[in-house]
Amino acid sequence: MRTEAGNVGTAPAPRSRRRRGGDGLLAALLLAPAALLLCGVLLFPMLTTFRDSLFVNKLTEPWAGTPFVGLGQYAQMVQDPRFLTALRNTLFFGVLTVGGSFLVGIPMALLAHTPSRVRGLARVALLLPWAMPPVITGLIFAWLFNGQYGVVNDVLVRAGIVGEPLRWLSTPGLAVVAMVITIVWKTSSFVALIVLGGLQGIPRELTEAADVDGATRVQTFWRVILPLLAPSLAVAFIFRAISAVQVFDIPYTFIQQAPAQGLLETLGVYIYRTSIEFLDFGYAATLSVALFAVSLAVTLVYVRFVRGGEG
Amino acid sequence: MEQAPRLNLSERVVRALGLALLVFGGFFPLVWMLLTSLKTEGELQQFPVQYLPSQPDVANYARVFSEQPFGTFFMNSLIVSLLSTALCVAVAVPAAYALSRLEIRARGLLLTLVVAFSMLPVVSLLVPLFRLMRSAQLLNTYPALILPYAALSLPVAILTLVAFFSAIPRDLESAAMVDGSTRVGAMTRIVLPLSLPGVVTAALLVFVNSWNEFLLALSFNTRLNMRTVSVGVTLYQGEFAFPWPLISAAVVIAVVPIVVLIAVFQKRFVAGLTAGGVKA
Repeated sequence: MRTEAGNVGTAPAPRSRRRRGGDGLLAALLLAPAALLLCGVLLFPMLTTFRDSLFVNKLTEPWAGTPFVGLGQYAQMVQDPRFLTALRNTLFFGVLTVGGSFLVGIPMALLAHTPSRVRGLARVALLLPWAMPPVITGLIFAWLFNGQYGVVNDVLVRAGIVGEPLRWLSTPGLAVVAMVITIVWKTSSFVALIVLGGLQGIPRELTEAADVDGATRVQTFWRVILPLLAPSLAVAFIFRAISAVQVFDIPYTFIQQAPAQGLLETLGVYIYRTSIEFLDFGYAATLSVALFAVSLAVTLVYVRFVRGGEG
Repeated sequence: MEQAPRLNLSERVVRALGLALLVFGGFFPLVWMLLTSLKTEGELQQFPVQYLPSQPDVANYARVFSEQPFGTFFMNSLIVSLLSTALCVAVAVPAAYALSRLEIRARGLLLTLVVAFSMLPVVSLLVPLFRLMRSAQLLNTYPALILPYAALSLPVAILTLVAFFSAIPRDLESAAMVDGSTRVGAMTRIVLPLSLPGVVTAALLVFVNSWNEFLLALSFNTRLNMRTVSVGVTLYQGEFAFPWPLISAAVVIAVVPIVVLIAVFQKRFVAGLTAGGVKA
Protein backbone atom coordinates (compact mmCIF):
# COMPACT_ATOMS: atom_id res chain seq x y z
CA MET A 1 0.00 0.00 0.00
CA ARG A 2 1.31 3.39 -0.95
CA THR A 3 1.48 5.97 1.77
CA GLU A 4 2.40 9.06 -0.17
CA ALA A 5 0.25 12.09 0.37
CA GLY A 6 -1.55 11.85 -2.98
CA ASN A 7 -2.87 8.34 -2.55
CA VAL A 8 -4.34 8.36 0.87
CA GLY A 9 -7.57 10.16 0.11
CA THR A 10 -8.52 7.61 -2.54
CA ALA A 11 -8.18 4.57 -0.26
CA PRO A 12 -10.70 4.76 2.55
CA ALA A 13 -9.55 1.52 4.22
CA PRO A 14 -10.34 1.00 7.90
CA ARG A 15 -8.00 3.29 9.81
CA SER A 16 -6.27 0.71 12.01
CA ARG A 17 -5.58 -1.73 9.17
CA ARG A 18 -4.38 1.02 6.89
CA ARG A 19 -1.96 2.28 9.49
CA ARG A 20 -0.48 -1.06 10.37
CA GLY A 21 -0.06 -2.15 6.75
CA GLY A 22 1.44 1.23 5.93
CA ASP A 23 3.82 1.09 8.86
CA GLY A 24 5.43 -2.16 7.74
CA LEU A 25 6.20 -0.98 4.24
CA LEU A 26 7.08 2.53 5.31
CA ALA A 27 9.41 1.19 8.00
CA ALA A 28 11.16 -1.04 5.47
CA LEU A 29 11.58 1.89 3.08
CA LEU A 30 12.94 4.17 5.79
CA LEU A 31 15.33 1.55 7.16
CA ALA A 32 16.60 0.28 3.80
CA PRO A 33 19.29 2.93 3.13
CA ALA A 34 20.77 2.50 6.61
CA ALA A 35 20.71 -1.29 6.30
CA LEU A 36 22.37 -1.06 2.88
CA LEU A 37 25.17 1.17 4.14
CA LEU A 38 25.81 -0.88 7.29
CA CYS A 39 25.74 -4.22 5.47
CA GLY A 40 27.78 -3.06 2.48
CA VAL A 41 30.52 -1.21 4.32
CA LEU A 42 30.66 -2.93 7.73
CA LEU A 43 28.96 -6.34 7.72
CA PHE A 44 30.28 -7.58 4.37
CA PRO A 45 33.94 -6.73 5.18
CA MET A 46 33.49 -8.32 8.59
CA LEU A 47 32.28 -11.57 7.04
CA THR A 48 35.17 -11.43 4.57
CA THR A 49 37.54 -11.28 7.52
CA PHE A 50 36.21 -14.59 8.82
CA ARG A 51 36.76 -16.23 5.44
CA ASP A 52 40.22 -14.66 5.02
CA SER A 53 41.32 -15.99 8.40
CA LEU A 54 41.13 -19.54 7.01
CA PHE A 55 43.50 -18.88 4.10
CA VAL A 56 47.20 -18.07 4.02
CA ASN A 57 47.63 -14.86 2.06
CA LYS A 58 51.03 -13.20 2.26
CA LEU A 59 51.70 -10.51 -0.29
CA THR A 60 55.39 -10.89 0.47
CA GLU A 61 55.30 -14.51 -0.75
CA PRO A 62 53.10 -14.38 -3.85
CA TRP A 63 54.50 -17.70 -5.14
CA ALA A 64 52.87 -19.52 -2.22
CA GLY A 65 49.40 -18.67 -3.47
CA THR A 66 46.48 -18.58 -1.03
CA PRO A 67 46.10 -22.14 0.28
CA PHE A 68 43.25 -23.07 2.61
CA VAL A 69 44.62 -23.88 6.06
CA GLY A 70 41.43 -24.05 8.10
CA LEU A 71 42.15 -23.13 11.68
CA GLY A 72 45.91 -23.36 11.10
CA GLN A 73 46.48 -19.64 11.60
CA TYR A 74 44.48 -19.72 14.81
CA ALA A 75 46.82 -22.43 16.11
CA GLN A 76 49.73 -20.23 15.04
CA MET A 77 48.17 -17.24 16.83
CA VAL A 78 47.77 -18.82 20.26
CA GLN A 79 51.48 -19.70 20.18
CA ASP A 80 52.65 -16.37 18.77
CA PRO A 81 54.58 -14.58 21.55
CA ARG A 82 54.06 -11.22 19.87
CA PHE A 83 50.28 -11.74 19.82
CA LEU A 84 50.28 -12.82 23.46
CA THR A 85 52.35 -9.77 24.41
CA ALA A 86 50.06 -7.45 22.44
CA LEU A 87 47.01 -9.02 24.06
CA ARG A 88 48.55 -8.64 27.51
CA ASN A 89 49.53 -5.02 26.78
CA THR A 90 46.02 -4.28 25.57
CA LEU A 91 44.38 -5.71 28.68
CA PHE A 92 46.96 -4.04 30.94
CA PHE A 93 46.42 -0.62 29.33
CA GLY A 94 42.69 -1.29 29.33
CA VAL A 95 42.52 -1.80 33.08
CA LEU A 96 44.73 1.22 33.84
CA THR A 97 43.13 3.64 31.38
CA VAL A 98 39.51 2.66 32.01
CA GLY A 99 40.07 2.89 35.76
CA GLY A 100 41.96 6.17 35.37
CA SER A 101 39.28 7.71 33.18
CA PHE A 102 36.67 7.00 35.89
CA LEU A 103 38.85 8.41 38.68
CA VAL A 104 39.27 11.64 36.70
CA GLY A 105 35.96 11.69 34.84
CA ILE A 106 33.54 11.46 37.78
CA PRO A 107 34.93 14.54 39.62
CA MET A 108 34.96 16.36 36.26
CA ALA A 109 31.27 15.61 35.81
CA LEU A 110 30.45 16.81 39.33
CA LEU A 111 32.33 20.06 38.66
CA ALA A 112 30.66 20.61 35.32
CA HIS A 113 27.24 19.88 36.84
CA THR A 114 27.22 22.49 39.59
CA PRO A 115 26.20 25.88 38.24
CA SER A 116 29.00 28.42 38.12
CA ARG A 117 30.02 31.56 36.31
CA VAL A 118 32.57 29.69 34.22
CA ARG A 119 30.18 26.90 33.24
CA GLY A 120 30.49 27.49 29.48
CA LEU A 121 34.27 27.56 29.71
CA ALA A 122 34.25 24.43 31.87
CA ARG A 123 32.09 22.68 29.30
CA VAL A 124 34.48 23.56 26.47
CA ALA A 125 37.41 22.35 28.59
CA LEU A 126 35.48 19.15 29.19
CA LEU A 127 34.70 18.59 25.51
CA LEU A 128 38.09 19.45 24.03
CA PRO A 129 39.93 16.24 24.94
CA TRP A 130 37.02 14.16 23.66
CA ALA A 131 36.80 16.05 20.36
CA MET A 132 40.52 16.23 19.64
CA PRO A 133 41.73 13.85 16.92
CA PRO A 134 43.40 10.91 18.72
CA VAL A 135 46.45 11.00 16.47
CA ILE A 136 46.92 14.70 17.27
CA THR A 137 46.50 13.98 20.98
CA GLY A 138 49.28 11.43 20.58
CA LEU A 139 51.53 14.01 18.90
CA ILE A 140 50.82 16.69 21.49
CA PHE A 141 51.58 14.42 24.43
CA ALA A 142 54.68 13.00 22.78
CA TRP A 143 55.89 16.62 22.73
CA LEU A 144 54.82 17.29 26.34
CA PHE A 145 56.74 14.15 27.39
CA ASN A 146 59.74 14.92 25.17
CA GLY A 147 62.88 13.50 26.78
CA GLN A 148 65.00 16.63 26.42
CA TYR A 149 62.86 19.73 26.16
CA GLY A 150 59.46 18.47 27.29
CA VAL A 151 57.42 20.66 29.59
CA VAL A 152 56.68 17.70 31.89
CA ASN A 153 60.40 17.29 32.51
CA ASP A 154 60.76 21.04 33.01
CA VAL A 155 58.11 21.07 35.73
CA LEU A 156 59.59 18.00 37.44
CA VAL A 157 63.12 19.44 37.39
CA ARG A 158 62.04 22.90 38.55
CA ALA A 159 60.04 21.32 41.38
CA GLY A 160 63.11 19.35 42.38
CA ILE A 161 61.34 16.02 41.97
CA VAL A 162 63.92 14.70 39.52
CA GLY A 163 67.52 15.80 39.04
CA GLU A 164 67.59 15.77 35.26
CA PRO A 165 65.14 15.26 32.40
CA LEU A 166 63.62 11.79 32.16
CA ARG A 167 63.68 9.93 28.84
CA TRP A 168 59.95 9.29 28.96
CA LEU A 169 59.37 7.68 25.60
CA SER A 170 62.49 5.56 25.40
CA THR A 171 62.39 4.12 28.92
CA PRO A 172 59.93 1.20 28.90
CA GLY A 173 58.28 1.81 32.28
CA LEU A 174 58.05 5.56 31.76
CA ALA A 175 56.70 5.16 28.23
CA VAL A 176 53.83 3.11 29.68
CA VAL A 177 53.13 5.81 32.27
CA ALA A 178 53.17 8.52 29.59
CA MET A 179 50.79 6.59 27.36
CA VAL A 180 48.38 5.82 30.19
CA ILE A 181 48.28 9.52 31.15
CA THR A 182 47.65 10.48 27.52
CA ILE A 183 44.80 8.01 27.08
CA VAL A 184 43.26 8.97 30.43
CA TRP A 185 43.38 12.67 29.43
CA LYS A 186 41.71 11.84 26.14
CA THR A 187 38.98 9.55 27.51
CA SER A 188 38.02 11.02 30.91
CA SER A 189 35.85 13.53 29.06
CA PHE A 190 33.73 10.76 27.69
CA VAL A 191 33.12 9.26 31.13
CA ALA A 192 32.40 12.76 32.48
CA LEU A 193 29.83 13.44 29.75
CA ILE A 194 27.95 10.19 30.30
CA VAL A 195 27.98 10.76 34.07
CA LEU A 196 26.86 14.35 33.49
CA GLY A 197 23.86 12.96 31.62
CA GLY A 198 23.12 10.76 34.62
CA LEU A 199 23.46 13.67 37.04
CA GLN A 200 21.05 15.75 34.98
CA GLY A 201 18.48 12.98 35.34
CA ILE A 202 18.57 12.98 39.15
CA PRO A 203 15.68 15.01 40.55
CA ARG A 204 16.86 17.94 42.68
CA GLU A 205 14.35 17.06 45.40
CA LEU A 206 16.26 13.90 46.24
CA THR A 207 19.54 15.63 47.04
CA GLU A 208 17.69 18.46 48.73
CA ALA A 209 15.80 15.99 50.91
CA ALA A 210 19.10 14.42 51.95
CA ASP A 211 20.40 17.90 52.65
CA VAL A 212 17.40 18.70 54.85
CA ASP A 213 17.86 15.41 56.70
CA GLY A 214 21.29 16.64 57.69
CA ALA A 215 23.44 14.51 55.41
CA THR A 216 26.83 15.92 54.54
CA ARG A 217 27.65 16.49 50.92
CA VAL A 218 29.98 13.49 50.93
CA GLN A 219 27.29 11.28 52.48
CA THR A 220 24.77 12.49 49.92
CA PHE A 221 27.20 11.61 47.14
CA TRP A 222 27.88 8.07 48.35
CA ARG A 223 24.39 7.16 49.57
CA VAL A 224 22.10 9.01 47.15
CA ILE A 225 23.88 10.19 44.01
CA LEU A 226 26.23 7.28 43.31
CA PRO A 227 23.55 4.54 43.43
CA LEU A 228 21.36 6.59 41.08
CA LEU A 229 24.33 7.00 38.74
CA ALA A 230 24.87 3.23 38.48
CA PRO A 231 23.21 2.87 35.04
CA SER A 232 25.24 5.77 33.56
CA LEU A 233 28.43 4.39 35.06
CA ALA A 234 27.70 0.98 33.57
CA VAL A 235 27.11 2.44 30.10
CA ALA A 236 30.28 4.53 30.34
CA PHE A 237 32.21 1.48 31.51
CA ILE A 238 31.15 -0.72 28.61
CA PHE A 239 31.87 1.91 25.96
CA ARG A 240 35.22 2.68 27.55
CA ALA A 241 36.08 -1.01 27.73
CA ILE A 242 35.29 -1.41 24.03
CA SER A 243 37.38 1.59 23.00
CA ALA A 244 40.24 0.44 25.26
CA VAL A 245 40.35 -2.97 23.60
CA GLN A 246 40.47 -1.35 20.16
CA VAL A 247 42.93 1.46 20.98
CA PHE A 248 45.14 2.26 18.01
CA ASP A 249 45.91 5.90 17.16
CA ILE A 250 47.67 6.97 20.38
CA PRO A 251 49.93 3.89 20.72
CA TYR A 252 50.65 4.21 16.99
CA THR A 253 51.90 7.81 17.35
CA PHE A 254 53.90 6.98 20.47
CA ILE A 255 55.62 4.09 18.75
CA GLN A 256 56.59 6.42 15.88
CA GLN A 257 58.45 8.51 18.48
CA ALA A 258 60.12 5.56 20.22
CA PRO A 259 60.35 2.74 17.70
CA ALA A 260 61.78 0.06 20.00
CA GLN A 261 58.82 -0.07 22.34
CA GLY A 262 57.37 -3.57 22.27
CA LEU A 263 55.66 -2.62 25.53
CA LEU A 264 53.40 -0.15 23.74
CA GLU A 265 52.20 -2.53 21.04
CA THR A 266 48.48 -3.14 21.44
CA LEU A 267 46.38 -5.67 19.55
CA GLY A 268 45.17 -2.89 17.21
CA VAL A 269 48.73 -1.84 16.38
CA TYR A 270 49.82 -5.47 15.83
CA ILE A 271 46.92 -6.02 13.41
CA TYR A 272 47.82 -2.83 11.56
CA ARG A 273 51.48 -3.85 11.25
CA THR A 274 50.63 -7.40 10.23
CA SER A 275 48.39 -6.14 7.44
CA ILE A 276 50.08 -2.96 6.20
CA GLU A 277 53.75 -3.46 7.11
CA PHE A 278 54.17 -7.25 6.88
CA LEU A 279 51.44 -7.56 4.21
CA ASP A 280 50.26 -10.81 5.78
CA PHE A 281 46.54 -10.46 5.05
CA GLY A 282 45.59 -13.99 6.12
CA TYR A 283 47.14 -13.78 9.57
CA ALA A 284 45.91 -10.19 10.02
CA ALA A 285 42.39 -11.51 9.44
CA THR A 286 42.94 -14.18 12.10
CA LEU A 287 44.13 -11.56 14.57
CA SER A 288 41.13 -9.40 13.62
CA VAL A 289 38.75 -12.23 14.46
CA ALA A 290 40.40 -12.42 17.89
CA LEU A 291 39.77 -8.69 18.33
CA PHE A 292 36.15 -9.14 17.17
CA ALA A 293 35.76 -11.87 19.76
CA VAL A 294 36.99 -9.67 22.60
CA SER A 295 34.82 -6.76 21.42
CA LEU A 296 31.81 -9.03 21.01
CA ALA A 297 32.21 -10.39 24.53
CA VAL A 298 32.06 -6.84 25.93
CA THR A 299 29.14 -5.95 23.62
CA LEU A 300 27.14 -8.94 24.82
CA VAL A 301 27.59 -7.83 28.42
CA TYR A 302 26.27 -4.42 27.37
CA VAL A 303 23.26 -5.81 25.51
CA ARG A 304 22.40 -8.06 28.45
CA PHE A 305 22.69 -5.10 30.74
CA VAL A 306 20.50 -2.82 28.59
CA ARG A 307 17.90 -5.54 28.08
CA GLY A 308 17.93 -6.25 31.80
CA GLY A 309 17.37 -2.57 32.49
CA GLU A 310 14.37 -2.40 30.13
CA GLY A 311 12.72 -5.57 31.36
CA MET B 1 17.36 29.17 36.11
CA GLU B 2 19.11 27.09 38.72
CA GLN B 3 20.03 28.31 42.12
CA ALA B 4 23.56 27.72 43.33
CA PRO B 5 23.55 25.24 46.20
CA ARG B 6 24.59 26.60 49.56
CA LEU B 7 28.26 25.92 50.00
CA ASN B 8 30.49 26.65 52.91
CA LEU B 9 33.86 28.31 52.45
CA SER B 10 36.02 25.19 52.23
CA GLU B 11 33.61 23.64 49.73
CA ARG B 12 33.78 26.76 47.64
CA VAL B 13 37.57 26.74 47.68
CA VAL B 14 37.69 23.06 46.67
CA ARG B 15 35.22 23.67 43.87
CA ALA B 16 37.05 26.74 42.57
CA LEU B 17 40.34 24.83 42.58
CA GLY B 18 38.68 21.92 40.85
CA LEU B 19 37.20 24.11 38.14
CA ALA B 20 40.55 25.84 37.64
CA LEU B 21 42.23 22.45 37.28
CA LEU B 22 39.55 21.25 34.86
CA VAL B 23 39.89 24.31 32.63
CA PHE B 24 43.69 24.24 32.81
CA GLY B 25 43.83 20.52 32.09
CA GLY B 26 41.46 20.76 29.15
CA PHE B 27 43.16 23.70 27.49
CA PHE B 28 46.84 23.37 28.39
CA PRO B 29 47.97 20.79 25.80
CA LEU B 30 46.52 22.87 22.98
CA VAL B 31 47.79 26.16 24.42
CA TRP B 32 51.23 24.59 24.65
CA MET B 33 51.09 23.68 20.96
CA LEU B 34 50.09 27.26 20.17
CA LEU B 35 53.05 28.62 22.17
CA THR B 36 55.41 26.08 20.60
CA SER B 37 54.25 27.00 17.12
CA LEU B 38 55.35 30.61 17.70
CA LYS B 39 58.88 29.69 18.77
CA THR B 40 61.96 29.08 16.68
CA GLU B 41 63.71 25.74 16.60
CA GLY B 42 66.63 27.25 18.57
CA GLU B 43 64.36 28.72 21.21
CA LEU B 44 62.83 25.30 21.68
CA GLN B 45 66.12 23.59 22.42
CA GLN B 46 66.55 25.23 25.76
CA PHE B 47 66.27 23.68 29.14
CA PRO B 48 64.88 24.91 31.53
CA VAL B 49 62.04 25.57 29.12
CA GLN B 50 61.36 29.14 28.12
CA TYR B 51 57.58 29.32 28.44
CA LEU B 52 56.70 32.30 26.27
CA PRO B 53 58.21 32.87 22.85
CA SER B 54 60.60 35.84 23.10
CA GLN B 55 59.65 37.06 19.64
CA PRO B 56 56.42 35.40 18.51
CA ASP B 57 57.07 34.22 15.00
CA VAL B 58 54.36 33.14 12.58
CA ALA B 59 56.87 31.89 10.01
CA ASN B 60 56.08 28.30 11.03
CA TYR B 61 52.53 28.76 9.78
CA ALA B 62 53.78 29.81 6.37
CA ARG B 63 56.15 26.83 6.33
CA VAL B 64 53.27 24.43 7.09
CA PHE B 65 51.76 25.38 3.75
CA SER B 66 55.00 25.61 1.78
CA GLU B 67 56.55 22.31 2.91
CA GLN B 68 53.43 20.21 2.37
CA PRO B 69 50.25 20.94 0.41
CA PHE B 70 48.44 21.53 3.71
CA GLY B 71 45.79 23.71 2.08
CA THR B 72 44.86 20.72 -0.08
CA PHE B 73 44.81 18.44 2.99
CA PHE B 74 42.51 20.90 4.71
CA MET B 75 40.13 21.08 1.75
CA ASN B 76 40.14 17.29 1.45
CA SER B 77 39.20 16.94 5.12
CA LEU B 78 36.50 19.55 4.75
CA ILE B 79 34.99 17.90 1.66
CA VAL B 80 35.18 14.37 3.07
CA SER B 81 33.80 15.36 6.48
CA LEU B 82 30.94 17.47 5.13
CA LEU B 83 29.87 14.85 2.59
CA SER B 84 30.14 12.00 5.13
CA THR B 85 28.00 14.04 7.48
CA ALA B 86 25.42 14.78 4.81
CA LEU B 87 25.23 11.13 3.72
CA CYS B 88 25.12 9.78 7.26
CA VAL B 89 22.41 12.18 8.44
CA ALA B 90 20.33 11.65 5.30
CA VAL B 91 20.35 7.91 5.96
CA ALA B 92 20.08 8.10 9.76
CA VAL B 93 17.05 10.42 9.99
CA PRO B 94 14.55 8.11 8.24
CA ALA B 95 15.96 5.05 10.03
CA ALA B 96 15.77 6.71 13.44
CA TYR B 97 12.26 7.95 12.69
CA ALA B 98 11.14 4.43 11.83
CA LEU B 99 12.80 2.96 14.93
CA SER B 100 11.30 5.48 17.31
CA ARG B 101 7.91 6.18 15.75
CA LEU B 102 6.60 3.24 13.75
CA GLU B 103 5.25 -0.05 15.03
CA ILE B 104 8.02 -2.50 14.25
CA ARG B 105 7.96 -5.89 15.88
CA ALA B 106 11.72 -6.40 15.68
CA ARG B 107 12.47 -2.96 17.11
CA GLY B 108 14.46 -4.24 20.08
CA LEU B 109 16.51 -6.56 17.90
CA LEU B 110 17.20 -3.81 15.35
CA LEU B 111 18.38 -1.40 18.04
CA THR B 112 20.63 -4.12 19.48
CA LEU B 113 22.11 -4.64 16.01
CA VAL B 114 22.76 -0.91 15.69
CA VAL B 115 24.62 -0.96 19.00
CA ALA B 116 26.60 -4.01 17.88
CA PHE B 117 27.64 -2.21 14.68
CA SER B 118 28.86 0.74 16.72
CA MET B 119 31.31 -1.57 18.46
CA LEU B 120 33.10 -3.03 15.43
CA PRO B 121 36.85 -2.40 15.57
CA VAL B 122 37.89 -0.32 12.55
CA VAL B 123 41.35 -1.86 12.39
CA SER B 124 39.77 -5.30 11.88
CA LEU B 125 37.93 -4.00 8.83
CA LEU B 126 41.03 -2.38 7.37
CA VAL B 127 42.12 -5.13 4.96
CA PRO B 128 38.68 -6.22 3.71
CA LEU B 129 37.62 -2.59 3.26
CA PHE B 130 40.87 -1.87 1.45
CA ARG B 131 40.20 -4.71 -0.99
CA LEU B 132 36.58 -3.60 -1.41
CA MET B 133 37.69 -0.07 -2.25
CA ARG B 134 40.42 -1.35 -4.55
CA SER B 135 38.08 -3.60 -6.50
CA ALA B 136 35.59 -0.73 -6.78
CA GLN B 137 38.52 1.42 -7.98
CA LEU B 138 37.80 3.97 -5.26
CA LEU B 139 41.27 4.16 -3.65
CA ASN B 140 42.54 7.75 -3.66
CA THR B 141 39.07 9.17 -4.18
CA TYR B 142 36.75 10.92 -1.74
CA PRO B 143 34.15 8.10 -1.67
CA ALA B 144 36.85 5.73 -0.34
CA LEU B 145 36.61 7.69 2.93
CA ILE B 146 33.08 9.08 2.73
CA LEU B 147 31.39 5.66 2.54
CA PRO B 148 33.17 4.11 5.55
CA TYR B 149 32.96 7.32 7.59
CA ALA B 150 29.22 7.58 7.02
CA ALA B 151 28.76 3.90 7.86
CA LEU B 152 30.99 4.00 10.95
CA SER B 153 29.16 7.01 12.39
CA LEU B 154 25.73 5.77 11.38
CA PRO B 155 25.04 3.76 14.58
CA VAL B 156 25.93 6.75 16.76
CA ALA B 157 23.80 9.07 14.61
CA ILE B 158 20.82 6.69 14.71
CA LEU B 159 21.03 6.17 18.49
CA THR B 160 21.31 9.91 19.13
CA LEU B 161 18.38 10.67 16.83
CA VAL B 162 16.23 7.92 18.34
CA ALA B 163 16.79 9.51 21.74
CA PHE B 164 15.74 12.92 20.39
CA PHE B 165 12.74 11.64 18.40
CA SER B 166 11.47 9.67 21.37
CA ALA B 167 11.36 12.84 23.44
CA ILE B 168 8.82 14.45 21.08
CA PRO B 169 5.25 13.81 22.27
CA ARG B 170 3.37 11.40 20.01
CA ASP B 171 0.16 13.36 20.52
CA LEU B 172 1.47 16.08 18.22
CA GLU B 173 1.57 13.71 15.28
CA SER B 174 -1.66 12.00 16.17
CA ALA B 175 -3.36 15.39 16.22
CA ALA B 176 -1.98 16.24 12.79
CA MET B 177 -3.07 12.87 11.42
CA VAL B 178 -6.57 13.24 12.83
CA ASP B 179 -6.68 16.58 11.06
CA GLY B 180 -6.13 14.75 7.79
CA SER B 181 -2.36 14.83 7.49
CA THR B 182 -0.64 11.65 6.32
CA ARG B 183 2.05 9.77 8.22
CA VAL B 184 4.73 11.18 5.90
CA GLY B 185 3.19 14.63 6.13
CA ALA B 186 3.22 14.50 9.93
CA MET B 187 6.80 13.34 9.83
CA THR B 188 8.10 16.08 7.58
CA ARG B 189 5.95 18.93 8.90
CA ILE B 190 5.72 18.18 12.64
CA VAL B 191 8.41 15.79 13.82
CA LEU B 192 11.38 16.86 11.71
CA PRO B 193 11.22 20.58 12.50
CA LEU B 194 10.92 19.79 16.21
CA SER B 195 13.85 17.41 16.07
CA LEU B 196 16.13 19.85 14.28
CA PRO B 197 18.33 20.28 17.38
CA GLY B 198 18.78 16.50 17.44
CA VAL B 199 19.69 16.47 13.75
CA VAL B 200 22.25 19.24 14.33
CA THR B 201 23.70 17.28 17.25
CA ALA B 202 23.98 14.07 15.24
CA ALA B 203 25.58 15.99 12.36
CA LEU B 204 28.16 17.51 14.71
CA LEU B 205 29.09 14.10 16.11
CA VAL B 206 29.52 12.66 12.61
CA PHE B 207 31.58 15.65 11.47
CA VAL B 208 33.97 15.38 14.43
CA ASN B 209 34.38 11.62 13.92
CA SER B 210 35.10 12.09 10.22
CA TRP B 211 37.48 15.02 10.72
CA ASN B 212 39.46 13.02 13.29
CA GLU B 213 39.67 9.66 11.53
CA PHE B 214 43.23 8.56 10.89
CA LEU B 215 43.64 4.86 10.10
CA LEU B 216 41.49 4.58 6.97
CA ALA B 217 42.69 7.94 5.68
CA LEU B 218 46.29 6.79 6.17
CA SER B 219 45.71 3.53 4.31
CA PHE B 220 43.21 4.27 1.54
CA ASN B 221 44.23 7.67 0.21
CA THR B 222 47.98 7.46 -0.14
CA ARG B 223 48.45 10.01 -2.93
CA LEU B 224 49.78 13.24 -1.44
CA ASN B 225 47.04 15.42 -2.94
CA MET B 226 44.34 13.12 -1.47
CA ARG B 227 45.64 13.22 2.12
CA THR B 228 43.51 14.59 4.95
CA VAL B 229 44.75 16.80 7.83
CA SER B 230 44.87 14.04 10.45
CA VAL B 231 47.42 12.24 8.28
CA GLY B 232 48.92 15.51 7.05
CA VAL B 233 50.14 16.57 10.50
CA THR B 234 52.26 13.41 10.71
CA LEU B 235 54.05 14.14 7.43
CA TYR B 236 56.36 16.82 8.82
CA GLN B 237 58.42 14.43 10.87
CA GLY B 238 61.52 13.02 9.25
CA GLU B 239 63.09 9.64 9.92
CA PHE B 240 64.77 10.88 13.11
CA ALA B 241 63.88 14.56 13.25
CA PHE B 242 60.79 16.08 14.78
CA PRO B 243 60.54 19.76 13.81
CA TRP B 244 58.20 20.54 16.71
CA PRO B 245 57.47 24.21 15.92
CA LEU B 246 56.34 23.16 12.46
CA ILE B 247 54.37 20.13 13.70
CA SER B 248 52.75 22.34 16.36
CA ALA B 249 51.66 24.90 13.80
CA ALA B 250 50.13 22.14 11.66
CA VAL B 251 48.35 20.72 14.71
CA VAL B 252 46.92 24.12 15.60
CA ILE B 253 45.56 24.63 12.08
CA ALA B 254 44.19 21.08 11.99
CA VAL B 255 42.10 21.50 15.14
CA VAL B 256 40.70 24.97 14.36
CA PRO B 257 37.41 23.62 12.96
CA ILE B 258 36.99 21.28 15.94
CA VAL B 259 37.66 24.00 18.50
CA VAL B 260 35.29 26.43 16.76
CA LEU B 261 32.50 23.82 16.62
CA ILE B 262 32.99 22.90 20.28
CA ALA B 263 32.97 26.52 21.39
CA VAL B 264 29.86 27.41 19.38
CA PHE B 265 27.86 24.22 19.91
CA GLN B 266 29.01 23.11 23.39
CA LYS B 267 25.45 22.65 24.61
CA ARG B 268 24.46 20.54 21.61
CA PHE B 269 27.54 18.32 22.04
CA VAL B 270 26.78 17.75 25.70
CA ALA B 271 23.14 17.01 24.84
CA GLY B 272 24.13 14.54 22.14
CA LEU B 273 26.71 12.71 24.20
CA THR B 274 24.53 12.46 27.26
CA ALA B 275 21.45 11.43 25.27
CA GLY B 276 22.66 8.26 23.61
CA GLY B 277 25.87 6.92 24.96
CA VAL B 278 28.32 7.49 22.19
CA LYS B 279 31.49 5.69 21.32
CA ALA B 280 34.52 7.23 23.00
